[in-house]
Amino acid sequence: MKINQKDLLAGLILMAFAVAGLWLNMDHTLGNARRMGPGYMPMLAFGLLLALSIAVVALSTISGPEKLERWAWRELFLILAAICVFALILEKAGMILTLVVSISIASLADRTHKPLGVLGLIAFLVALCYLVFIQWLDIRIPVWPTYFGY
Amino acid sequence: METLLANLALGFSVAFSLENLTFALLGAFIGTAIGVLPGIGPVATISLLLPITFGMSPTTAIIMLAGIYYGAQYGGSTTAILLNLPGEVSSVVTVIEGYKMARNGRAGAALATAALGSFFAGSVATVVVAASGPLLTSIALSFGPADYFSLMFLGLIISAVLAQGSIVKGIGMVVLGVGLGLVGTDVQTGQQRFTFGVPELSDGVDFVAIAMGMFGIAEIILNLERPESRNVLTNKVGSLYLTREEFRRAVPSVLRGTLLGTVIGILPGGGASLSSFGSYMIERKVSKYRHLFGTGAIEGVAGPEAANNAAAQASFIPLLTLGIPANAVMALMVGALIIQGIQPGPRMVEAQPDLFWGLICSMWVGNLMLLIINLPMIGMWVKLLEVPYRHLYPAIMIFCAIGMYSINNNVFDVYLMVLFGLFGYLCSKVKLEGAPLLIGFVLGPMMEEHLRRAMLLSRGDVMVFVERPISASMLAISAIALLAMMLPNLRAGKEKAMAEGG
Repeated sequence: MKINQKDLLAGLILMAFAVAGLWLNMDHTLGNARRMGPGYMPMLAFGLLLALSIAVVALSTISGPEKLERWAWRELFLILAAICVFALILEKAGMILTLVVSISIASLADRTHKPLGVLGLIAFLVALCYLVFIQWLDIRIPVWPTYFGY
Repeated sequence: METLLANLALGFSVAFSLENLTFALLGAFIGTAIGVLPGIGPVATISLLLPITFGMSPTTAIIMLAGIYYGAQYGGSTTAILLNLPGEVSSVVTVIEGYKMARNGRAGAALATAALGSFFAGSVATVVVAASGPLLTSIALSFGPADYFSLMFLGLIISAVLAQGSIVKGIGMVVLGVGLGLVGTDVQTGQQRFTFGVPELSDGVDFVAIAMGMFGIAEIILNLERPESRNVLTNKVGSLYLTREEFRRAVPSVLRGTLLGTVIGILPGGGASLSSFGSYMIERKVSKYRHLFGTGAIEGVAGPEAANNAAAQASFIPLLTLGIPANAVMALMVGALIIQGIQPGPRMVEAQPDLFWGLICSMWVGNLMLLIINLPMIGMWVKLLEVPYRHLYPAIMIFCAIGMYSINNNVFDVYLMVLFGLFGYLCSKVKLEGAPLLIGFVLGPMMEEHLRRAMLLSRGDVMVFVERPISASMLAISAIALLAMMLPNLRAGKEKAMAEGG
């Protein structure tokens, strides 16, 4: 079999969205072609997506052979974790502390980083973000930890 | 003619205001920088900087964002020529001949050709935008809802057909984008759709979260897993002056590239990268010096570089006249305008003459700035190339996170961005393109509105789409485009072009 694993997975992903969309769309009134309800366009879109996803899956049996690539789990996890931690602590810990933590986590994703370089990078980015976001753009974001303060 | 002159005068007075000049320069500068740096492109940068533009006037915001887009076309060529590595997708083919020229000691000449060719192309495209804008607008004003629906349908089909890789997957991503665009409150009935009761989703998925996630965050992870081998082999740029012979050879290629780029740029789905591929293929076939290709032929730099800049600017035409984004960057522009309270469309020329003409004139001014930024200051950009990616990605990540948070002062959007980052990574692993999704997302809600209106007017008769001549011709073109790509010959040609380019 010359299965194209990438196409197969791509088709299954699209199919999952289509099925989920059609299923969730059962809550919405369809209406008719003249007076479309909130469910009409989703029905068309996800119905078409389902058809396309079936086509992608079907084509994957002849468009191969192609194997899935390896995933960079470590990099993926560290970068996404760094941003999640950012979102988690920002409003309590303030921008500066959050940046220090978040950049530290992200720097683990590249093995060529050296501790001193990371420190310099943190100092530079904290200063830059302070100037751009606080001084210039004046966005509403706590700068220092507010947990104990208020 | 007189109105055109009056309009241009208005445009230049807007473009030459101190604020707009400053931000055009800033945009051109940032654009060049991200163009030079591999690993960050205009889509990620523009979504990154969107939050910053909220405080500006709409005109200034668009002028700056546009500067980033065409600035990136200039910067991309520098990396291609000096590093044998495309700084942007649109300069992939410049690598082939440009780097060879650099190895022959003609790096300076290659850079000068790229910059001058881009400048010429940019100036021509500016005139085309100025001339065709009002013309197309007057046609667009006679469009009914059915025509609009078919036009958007055509745009989606073409953007999927021209996307890299499988057409079926491309259309799939477009439709998925349309589906994602439906999340939120239904405008006509007020019903919540696909929101899972989450109040943050009742305004729909924030498209900045999609763009930053799929083009910013996912890109970081993809770059990290491919360890870079970046070494500037050509520290010596050499003389920037072209010899008479080189100049004579470059001119026809620049002219052809400009023409091709302008045409492809106007097409929905077309854009800078496609036109530079196209131009390279043409140059290799028709150039008088085609036997020199592969040894550092100046035509292979002049044509594609002119083409990508012309296309970058011409792709503003459908946006400004019809309100339809031709590519992912233009989809972001639609978002930027909507956030500013402006609905892009044919009424924009009359309702926002400052914006329309100011943007056009600023493009020309911006191109002039770019010429100066890129040629005499080339040494600075070569230095920038020495910044390793490990110092870059934390900055990109942090700017994405803070920018995303600042849009609604809500951490929910940041989590949403993480989700789309993960999804974007997954998509690139199975070769699903992000750009069609973004275009579908922006066009989806508009299509629903026009579809509903058209069907209401026609009392539920689907025939309205084929009875109206404009709509019918749009659908016919869509069908032809789809069928043409099914033909084995053409598809093989496209794949060959993409493979040789990449």
